[in-house]
Amino acid sequence: MTALPKLKDNKRAAFDAFSLKRRRLVDKAARIVITLGGISIILSILAILVFITLEVYPLWEAAKAELAGRFELNKPLGISSPLANLASVPDFPILGVGVDEYRQIGFVITKDGLVDFISLKDGNTLKQVPLKKIEGKKITSSLGSLDNQKYTLGTDDGYILPVEINFKVSFNDNEEKVIEPELVEGEPIKVDALTLTHVAYKALDDDTKGIAAVTSDGRLVFLLEQTTRPLVEGEKKEVSKYDLTPELKGSIVTAIALDQFLDNLYVGTKRGELHHWDIRDKANPKLVEVIDATENPETAITALGFIIGDRSLIVGDETGNVSTWFQVEDKTSPIGRRLKKAHVLSSHNGLVTAVASSPRDRGLISADSKGGIILNYSTSERKLLELQGEGYPIKALAFAPKADGAVAVDERGTFYDWRIENPHPEINLKALFGKVWYEGYSKPEYVWQSTGGTDDFEPKFSLTPLAYGTFKGTFYALLFAIPLAILGAICVSQFMHPSLKNIIKPVIEIMAALPTVVLGFLAGLWMAPLIEKMVPAVFMMPLVLTIMTLVAVFLWRFLPKSVRGRFKDGTELLLLIPVFILGIQICLWLNQPVESLLLGGDFKAWLFDKLGLQYDQRNALIVGFAMGFAVIPIIFTISDDALSNVPKHLISGSLALGATRWQTAIKVVLPTASAGIFSAIMIGFGRVVGETMIVLMATGNTPIMDWSIFNGFRALSANIAVEIPEAPHGGTLYRVLFLAALLLFLVTFLVNTGAEIVRMRLRKKYAQL
Amino acid sequence: MKNFWKSGDPFIWVTGGALTFSLLMIGGLLFLIMAKGLGFFWSSDIAEVKLKDGSKLLGQITAREKIPQPGAPPGTPKRYRIQLQIGNRDIYGLDFRWVNEEEIAKIDYPRNAVLLERREWGNMYGFIKEIREGEVVVAQENEESWIALKDLLPRTQGIYKTIKRIGKKDIGAINYKIEGLRLDIRKLELQAGDQTSMQANIKSLEDQIEVQKKLYRNKESELASLYEKLAEDKIIVSTIDGREKEMSIGAIVRAYRPNDMSLLNKALLYISKVWEFVSGEPRESNTEGGIFPAIFGTVMMVLIMSIVVLPFGVLAALYLREYAKHGSLLRIVRICVNNLAGVPSIVFGIFGLGFFIYAIGGTIDNIFYSEALPTPTFGTGGIIWASLTLALLTVPVVIVATEEGLAAVPRAIREGSFALGATKFETIWRIVIPSAMPAILTGLILAIARATGEVAPLMITGVVKLAPELPIDGHFPFIHLERKFMHLGFHIYDVGFQSPNVEAAKPMVYATTLLLILIVVFLNLAAIIIRNRLRKRYATSAF
Repeated sequence: MTALPKLKDNKRAAFDAFSLKRRRLVDKAARIVITLGGISIILSILAILVFITLEVYPLWEAAKAELAGRFELNKPLGISSPLANLASVPDFPILGVGVDEYRQIGFVITKDGLVDFISLKDGNTLKQVPLKKIEGKKITSSLGSLDNQKYTLGTDDGYILPVEINFKVSFNDNEEKVIEPELVEGEPIKVDALTLTHVAYKALDDDTKGIAAVTSDGRLVFLLEQTTRPLVEGEKKEVSKYDLTPELKGSIVTAIALDQFLDNLYVGTKRGELHHWDIRDKANPKLVEVIDATENPETAITALGFIIGDRSLIVGDETGNVSTWFQVEDKTSPIGRRLKKAHVLSSHNGLVTAVASSPRDRGLISADSKGGIILNYSTSERKLLELQGEGYPIKALAFAPKADGAVAVDERGTFYDWRIENPHPEINLKALFGKVWYEGYSKPEYVWQSTGGTDDFEPKFSLTPLAYGTFKGTFYALLFAIPLAILGAICVSQFMHPSLKNIIKPVIEIMAALPTVVLGFLAGLWMAPLIEKMVPAVFMMPLVLTIMTLVAVFLWRFLPKSVRGRFKDGTELLLLIPVFILGIQICLWLNQPVESLLLGGDFKAWLFDKLGLQYDQRNALIVGFAMGFAVIPIIFTISDDALSNVPKHLISGSLALGATRWQTAIKVVLPTASAGIFSAIMIGFGRVVGETMIVLMATGNTPIMDWSIFNGFRALSANIAVEIPEAPHGGTLYRVLFLAALLLFLVTFLVNTGAEIVRMRLRKKYAQL
Repeated sequence: MKNFWKSGDPFIWVTGGALTFSLLMIGGLLFLIMAKGLGFFWSSDIAEVKLKDGSKLLGQITAREKIPQPGAPPGTPKRYRIQLQIGNRDIYGLDFRWVNEEEIAKIDYPRNAVLLERREWGNMYGFIKEIREGEVVVAQENEESWIALKDLLPRTQGIYKTIKRIGKKDIGAINYKIEGLRLDIRKLELQAGDQTSMQANIKSLEDQIEVQKKLYRNKESELASLYEKLAEDKIIVSTIDGREKEMSIGAIVRAYRPNDMSLLNKALLYISKVWEFVSGEPRESNTEGGIFPAIFGTVMMVLIMSIVVLPFGVLAALYLREYAKHGSLLRIVRICVNNLAGVPSIVFGIFGLGFFIYAIGGTIDNIFYSEALPTPTFGTGGIIWASLTLALLTVPVVIVATEEGLAAVPRAIREGSFALGATKFETIWRIVIPSAMPAILTGLILAIARATGEVAPLMITGVVKLAPELPIDGHFPFIHLERKFMHLGFHIYDVGFQSPNVEAAKPMVYATTLLLILIVVFLNLAAIIIRNRLRKRYATSAF
C-alpha cells in the first residue's frame, strides 16, 4: 500500500484508483511482452536446428517428373492415321529424337532422311528439313551425342553422315525468345558397300576421325580417316579400314560404342559378350578382352552408351539389367587396365531398348520394351525416377541438354516430353558415408573432393574422411588435455590452499577465453616448425618430467620439517616450476644425442624407413597440443567444481579414519565426483569436435584417412569454413556442407545435453549425501 | 622407499606437476606473444655483416638459431646461424637471409646506416648518397643529405596526406554520388509508368552525373599535379653492395638511423610506431602499417552485437526465471539454451549465411534494392549479418549469466517489495534488475569477449581481408550496415596464413595477436572481478 489516501480528498482518491489501474495494466502488458518475447527468442534460437535441417532436406528429395507433352507423330511422318492404328510396324520409321535446351522444340529423325522439328507446345510440325547430302537414300542407323545436338546417321548404301542440329536463340521486338532450328550437314563418308545397321563416329579433332560400323551381313568395320597437311601440296586424306569381324568369332553384334578419345571400341553381342578393342595405336586395333557382361549367359547386350566424359560404359541387356563399367588398373592386362563392372543399377522389366546419359552429371536414363524409363545415378547407384510410357517399347530416347527433361518415342509413334526436376542426383547415404567406386579409381573409396578442373569432373562428397579427421583431432587433443586437466583439478581442489586456488583458477579460466585463432596461429606458424626439429624431445618430455617430479618429491622429504612447514598447503608444488623448466631444457639437450644414437641421426628418415610414416609439418600432434590447450581450462573448471563440491564431511571422515590425503582423494573424492568429471570430459569433447580455427590453421587440411599422429587431416568444421564461400547457394555442395553443420550441431548438442543431465544428477546426489 | 610410495606424496606431486605444466604453458604463451609482439616496434641497430668471402650485408638481426646437423656424431660442436632482415625487397627479392656464423668475419654498426620505411617494397637499408629537388642536387654527402632529408620529409608527407585526403574524401564522395545517381536512373527504368516524364527525370539525373564527372575530372587533375610535386624530391640511396637506388622522397614513411639514436629517441620512435600500428591504415597487403580498420571493424561489430544481444538476452532470462511456469518443460528449455553455448561457432556461421544473408538479405535486396541487382546489397556478407550471427552465438551466455543473477537476488528483497504494494513488473524493474545488473553486465562482457575472439563464423558472414571503406563515413546515412568489414582475429588468420610473404608478415601478426589478447584478457578480467564483487555483495546482503 502506498501512502494512505485522505478520504476527504476525492480527487486524490480517484487519481490513485486510476494510477492503480494503470499500474495493473502496465504489469499485465509487461507480463505479456516478456512472455511472448521470451518464448519467441527461445524458439528462434531453437529454430537454428529447424532451418539447417530444412536446408539439408532437399538432398533426399527424389527427382520429380511431369509429362509436359504427348503427341501422335503420324502427321509429321505423313501418315494419315496414328501409327498405333496400323496393324503392325515392320519398319519403324523413327531413328532419333531430341530437344532444344529450352525444351520448346523437339525433333525426330526419320528413315526417309527427314528431320522434323515439332513445337512442344502443341505438337505441330514447325519445319521439315530433308537431308540433302544423302537424298534418296534410306537411313538405317543413328547415334546421338550427349547433348543430342550431333547425330551420326548410317545409310543403306554404306555411308555415314554427321549432322549437327543447332538452335539459334534471338529476341524479337517484344523481347520474346525466338528459337530457330537449323540443320548443318557434314561430309558423308563411305564406309562400306552394304547397309550399315549400327554406327559410331567420333572426331578427335578436325583431322582425325574414327568410325565403327556394323554392316547388314554382320561384319564389324573400323575406319580411320586422317588428314595430313604437307607444306607443299594441299590436304591429303588417308583412310584406313580394318575388318574386325574375325575376332568376333561368329558373334552377332547388337550394339557398339566408341569413345571420344578414339582409345577404345566396345562391342556388345547377342551372346552377351562385351568385346573391347584398344585402338590407341591407330594402325593396329587390338582386341584386349572379351567379357561376359550379362548376368545370365546367352542374354544379348541390347544397348551401349557412355556416361558424360566417355570413360564409363553403360551396358543394357535383354533381361533389363543396366550396369556401368569402366577401366580399372590391373597389372595382368596387356594394356595395364581392365574393364570392370563398377555399378549395377536398378533393372527394367523388359529388354533395354535405349540408353541416354545426362549432359550435366553421371545420371542416365534407360528405356525398355514395356515402355518403362528409369533415371539412375551411376556413381551412387541411386534410382531417382521411374517414368511409365503406355506399355509399348520405347524406340528412341534423349536427355534435354540442361538435364531438366527427357524426350522419347515409342513403337506406336507417340512422342513423350517429360519435365524432370532433379537437383541433387548424386547424393544418397551411400555417397555421403559409404565407400563409393568413382570413375578412374581402382576400388571403392571414401573421397572428399568437391571441385575439380574439368567440365566432366565429378564432385565426390564423402563425409567419412572429414568425420574421421574430426575424430582424429579430437582423440589427440583429448589424449593431451584429459590427464593434465583432471590431475590439475585434483591438485587444485584437494591439495591446495584456497588463497592459492583463488589465483590459479582465474588464470586458467582466462586461458579458456584465449581466442582460438591465436592458438591456431601459434600452432601453425610458431610451434609446427619448432616441433619439427625436436620430435624426440617432445616424446621424451612426459617421461622426463615425471621422473624429475619424483626426484623432486624424494629430495623434498629430506628437507628439515622447519623448512617444509613454512610452505602453505600446496604452495610447495610451485617449486616444480623451476624443476620443469630444467626438465624441458634437459629434453632439448637430449634431443640431438637421442636422435643420433637411437634414431640414426634423422628422425624423419627413421620414421619413414622403420614405420613407413610420413612426417607433415602441420600434423595431428600440433593440433593435439593446440586444441588440448584450448580445452584444458574447460575440463579443468568443471572437474574442479565437481571435486570441490564433494561434501566436506566425507573427506573429514576419511581423514579421521586414518587415510592419507592421497587415499582420500582417490578413494573417496574421485569416485564421488566421477560423474562430474565424466561430464567435464564430454563438454570438452563437444568443444573440440566443433573447433574450427585451430584445425584450419594447424593441419594441412588434406582429407586423408590415416591414424598417424604425424600427418594432417581435414575436419568437418574446417571443411565448412574452407568450402562454403565457394559453394553456390542451393547447390549440392552447399547443402552437403549444411549437412556437415547439422551433424556437428547434433553431436555437440547431444553430448552437451548428456553432460548436463549427468551434472544435474550429481548435484542431487551431493544434496542427499 | 615403501614409505615413500605409501605416503601418497609422489602422486600428489604428479597432480601438481600436471597443474604446473598447464600454468607453464599459459605463462609461456603469454610471454611469447608479449616478447614477439612488443619487440616488433623496437628498432634494433643496423648491422653491417662482413662475410669471410669479402661480401657485405646490411640489415637488422632478427633471430639466431642452431643449425640442425642430422646424422652428426654426438659431441660435434654446435653451429649457429643468424637471420638478417636485409630489406630492399625491390632489389634482392627477399626480406630475410640466414647467415652461418662461421662465415662471418666481422659485424659493425655503422653510424650513418639509414633505415627507410617505404610505402611500397618494405624497408630499405643503405646509405644516403644524394638528395635532389627536381634536377637540382641539394645535398651530396651522407651527413649533409641526412639533414636535407629531415627537412624535406615533412613537406612530402604533407603533400602525401593531401593526396590521400583528396583521393579518399573528395573523390570518394563524388563516386558515391555518381553511384547513387546511377542507381536512381536504374530504379526509374525498372518502374513502369509514364514514359515521357520518366525520360525527363532520367535526363536530369544524367545531367547531374555529368556535373559530378566534371568535378571528378577537376579533382583528378589536382591530384595529378600533386603527384608531380611529390615526385620532384628525390633521394638516391646506395645499398651495401654498391647498387644505387633512386626514389621519390614521397615514397618514404619514416627515415631514421637507429645506430645513431639515443635510447630516449628510440623510445620515442617506439611510441610513434605503436601509434601508427593502432591508428594507421594497412600497407602492402596488410603486412605493414597499421590495423586501425580492423580495430574499428571489431569494435563496431561488437557494439552492434551488444545492442542486439543485451535486450534479447535479458528478456529471455526474465521470462525463464520470473514468468515461465516451472516444470520439466522449462528444465528442458533451460538445458537446450545452456547447450547452445556449446554448439560450434561454425554452425552459427553457416546458419548466418543461409538465413541472414541468403534468406533475409536476399529478400531485402529484392524489395528495396532491386535496382542494384544482380550486385547484392544486403544479400552478401556485411557487418550487420556478422553481428547478428554473433549475437545469436552469444545470447545463451547472456541468458545464463542473467538468470544466475536473477536467481541470486534474495527472496526477502522481492517479498519486501511485494509487501509494499509493488506489482510484479515494478518489483522486477525497480528491484530485481538493478540488483542483478552486475550479473547482466558480466554476461555481456563475457559475450563481448567471446565475440571479439571468434573468427570462424565471421569468415563466412562478412569479414574481408581489406575493406575499402569503413562501415561509418560522411555519406548519408552515415552508418552502412551492409558493408563488409575487417576484424582483428581474421586479420591474424589472413596475414599469417594467406599473405604472400608470411615471414615478413609474422611480426605484424604477433603484434595484432598481442592486441587481441590484451582486449580479451582485459574483458575477461573485468567479468571475473565484477562476478567476485557480486558474490561478496550477496554474501553480505543475505541476512
